[in-house]
Amino acid sequence: MIDPAAPGGPPPGTGGARPPAPPAPGIPARTGGPSAPPSPPRPPRTGGLRPPRTGGLPALRAAGMPLFWLIVAAFILLPCACFLLLALSPRLFGQGAQWFTLTYLRQSLTGATAVAVANSLWVSCAAAALGLALGFPVAWLAARTTVPGRRFVSGGMWLSLLLPSWLPALGWERLVQADGVMYRAGLDWPWVTHLIMGPFGVVLLLGLRCVPFSYLAVSAALGGLGQEFEDAARVHGASRLAALRLVAPILAPAIWSALAIGFAESISDFGVAATLAYNADFPLATYQLYAAIGNFPPSFPLAAGMSWLLVAAVAVPLALQARALRGRSYAILSGRTRQAVRRRLGRFEAVLAGSGLALFFLVMLGIPGFGAVSGSLLGDYGGSFTPTLVNYQALFRQPGLTGPLERSMAYGLITATVTVTLGFIAARLLSRRRTAATGALDFLLLASVALPGVVFGAGYIFAYNLPVMSRLHIDLYQTVQLLVIAYVASSLPTNARVLVGPVSQLQPSLADAARAHGAGPVTAWARGVLPVVSRPVTLAWLYTFCGVFLELPLSQLLYAPGSPPASIAIEDNLSNYHFGVGMAQAVLAVSIAFAAVAVALGGYRLLAPAGWRRIGGTTRG
Amino acid sequence: MDRLHRRTRLRLLTGVSGAAALTLLAVAGCSSSSSSPAPAAATSSSASPSSPSSSPASSSAKVPLVVYSAQGYDSAMTKAFTKATGIPVQLDDNSTGPLLTQIEASKNNPNWGLLWVDGATAFAGLDTQGLLMKGFEPKVSWNSLGAASLPPDKSYTPTGVTLMAALVYNKAKVKNPPASWQALLSPAWKGQVGMNDPSQSGPTYPFIAGMMNYLGGVSAGEKYFMSLKANGLVIHPTNGVTLQALTSGQINLALVQSSAAIGAALGDKNLGVAYLNPVTLLPSAIGIDAKAPPAVQAEAEQFIDFVLSPAGQKVMQSGDPTGDSLYYPVISGVSPLPALPPLGSTKTQAIDPYKWGPQEAAINTWFDSNIVR
Repeated sequence: MIDPAAPGGPPPGTGGARPPAPPAPGIPARTGGPSAPPSPPRPPRTGGLRPPRTGGLPALRAAGMPLFWLIVAAFILLPCACFLLLALSPRLFGQGAQWFTLTYLRQSLTGATAVAVANSLWVSCAAAALGLALGFPVAWLAARTTVPGRRFVSGGMWLSLLLPSWLPALGWERLVQADGVMYRAGLDWPWVTHLIMGPFGVVLLLGLRCVPFSYLAVSAALGGLGQEFEDAARVHGASRLAALRLVAPILAPAIWSALAIGFAESISDFGVAATLAYNADFPLATYQLYAAIGNFPPSFPLAAGMSWLLVAAVAVPLALQARALRGRSYAILSGRTRQAVRRRLGRFEAVLAGSGLALFFLVMLGIPGFGAVSGSLLGDYGGSFTPTLVNYQALFRQPGLTGPLERSMAYGLITATVTVTLGFIAARLLSRRRTAATGALDFLLLASVALPGVVFGAGYIFAYNLPVMSRLHIDLYQTVQLLVIAYVASSLPTNARVLVGPVSQLQPSLADAARAHGAGPVTAWARGVLPVVSRPVTLAWLYTFCGVFLELPLSQLLYAPGSPPASIAIEDNLSNYHFGVGMAQAVLAVSIAFAAVAVALGGYRLLAPAGWRRIGGTTRG
Repeated sequence: MDRLHRRTRLRLLTGVSGAAALTLLAVAGCSSSSSSPAPAAATSSSASPSSPSSSPASSSAKVPLVVYSAQGYDSAMTKAFTKATGIPVQLDDNSTGPLLTQIEASKNNPNWGLLWVDGATAFAGLDTQGLLMKGFEPKVSWNSLGAASLPPDKSYTPTGVTLMAALVYNKAKVKNPPASWQALLSPAWKGQVGMNDPSQSGPTYPFIAGMMNYLGGVSAGEKYFMSLKANGLVIHPTNGVTLQALTSGQINLALVQSSAAIGAALGDKNLGVAYLNPVTLLPSAIGIDAKAPPAVQAEAEQFIDFVLSPAGQKVMQSGDPTGDSLYYPVISGVSPLPALPPLGSTKTQAIDPYKWGPQEAAINTWFDSNIVR
């Protein structure tokens, strides 16, 4: 993840391609290292040598980077730090008598809490590995072969991202529980019940949850990989397998990103922890943490003590990632990246791969879909098998049905746009040479992923509802502003990590070429860089939109009274005994979000210039 | 890469992001005002003929009243209140857990006006921390349930009562349901009884505390639940999941909140509801923020008056007819909905929330470690 052109660059012999010294402004740079394509031929000039435009708003440009760090510090670091500080100094926030204590850290390292943390650690490792083991081949099949149904893979992955993690857990439970569907269908398989309602089931569900992250990271990187590396290997006599072995390491940033996200998302997941893991008597750290906060009176300091452990845990994948990527360059994405050629599968291969994909999506989407749809179509808490539309009829009779959906749609649009902008900058920083600042940013972003939403939300209350804030007339708590800011802050870490893969593949020559031809920075970025990252940026935008649309824990603690988002409206029904109506509302909300995804992806296909879509595309072999 | 160009581009990007963030704040700043519910336009006196102490005409200096509520009829109630009084209400409609988390996390700088949830123990906990305004009692005629639920220091006001726990059973499978709490320990019901987890279900702690109160203390209560566990007690997180376990046949007897039980029986004619003696009263109650400005506290008092007025009781009984509306009224002259079984010979008990409230965390932790696991 090193930008060879960064000051100080990689040490000699580490494989980094060091370009010549930067030319003087206004003189076309000779870009690219030994392995990079040569710079494009200079077009004939019609006028004199013109210095690149620097663009307007110089004050804003100068303030840009400090502003970025300010946003990160104020909206990610401050809430996290406030909450973590609670473990050491409860009195600082009116949550106890001690100004300084290690009691809560000690408590979090003993008894049931320690067991839950240990469970979370190994389960998250296993889930991240499972997610990659499934996501990588699916991404490869969809991007590089003629496997049947490949056009539906992307949509299927997006649909699974839309589903809250408790939905698959619910579906699995309905399937395998005592007197569940499996038994009613005559399959008396108690061993399946024991398997799913235990650690294996927890790893399976969390692993499946990680698959879309792996798929997105790997498919974005595959899109930028082009065909030239495989062609070069094959031309020099490498077999198909050997070519794959050559190409796979180039995808290392994406692979490590996928593992890091998978680990952090799994360790912070609450949906599975509170449903399947809970019912399987397999405690996870997030549930213990929730219990500490959910008890009355809540023990925020104990929850903070456990949060220290979760934050410390993410150091593991980060350290591994840094160690694996240190001193290497992955800049491969340029304007000359060639379209990859799909491998034409034989009939047997196609049937095998197609069946595998179908089975995968049956498990991935069919079971959660069964849980949700059966819950919404059965009128009596799902006990019988008589479908009815009574829940949908009740849902559409409820007043104010559309308000929360519209609100969540607007929050999603704003959050996704801001998050992708900030995420791109963060990804750019993370893909450069590792310095203390970028290392800190990397850790901060991943650590905040590891903190469950309820901790993040409570941290926002502690940070932004201090009496001093009110004295300063900063009354942000329970306003739309703070909710959207919290959405952005909670989405940014994952977003940045999804974008690190494609951004680290960007070759500097792209913008340089445009600047060398007289384009201003905006035009150079828009015409040189944006086309090649448009696809991953679009996907990152959609991912954020989907995550925000049904986000619950932050919304519960921070939403502006009187303006409930969709998740609050659904939870309101579920918690007030209207289980079926709540499930019907969840099905409706997921359908609307999926329609929004379809519109965005369809719009990209229809409206994006052909050249934009060509990057990362494939041709039929 | 040209270092200068790269830095320029990065600065530009950060500038764009900064502008985007500023735009967001500006847009959100504008939207926040629109997110607040507008004061009701309808302030004619004919709108609330039965509104007890509030007059729409006295609409000077009306401030938004922030209502934290977990009641199924709260949306209908706040709309009716605004219509009747002209007082704008901002409703934070959430589960009890997140509401209490918000209150505890923000207790140095509270943002709420009144809290309306089930369970006196939570209110007692807030009261002992000095978070509730004391001394307000609406001028109403309490019935026996209301009088039993009213705290001595008037730090909260009961608005209705449900019972913990009602016994729900599948009539097709259970012809003779158990008639006492001890009967649940019989081998005949081994593996067939289910209840909620108190760490996830708010109404369940009062049930556990009620059993301990009835049996003579914490130790006796722990012994009872250990025996119940030895007889195959099944724990599910909340009312809905426990009822689902009942309807799907995993268990044949479910111990849940009476409103959930009766609501389920309304939707599924195979379900029967019974009360075992004694059942513990679970008042739904309203508490007023002790640190709220006097104007807000005065409006909160008006809200309580309205809730307990005939108009308010009508809204409570119609706002969530298959859920929270299935409560036993606490006001003389107000009858419960027809779906509620008459209490008749059922023996009820009110536990002292100031005795059992402070023990909630310890007892829930014990239950989680010894019964749930």
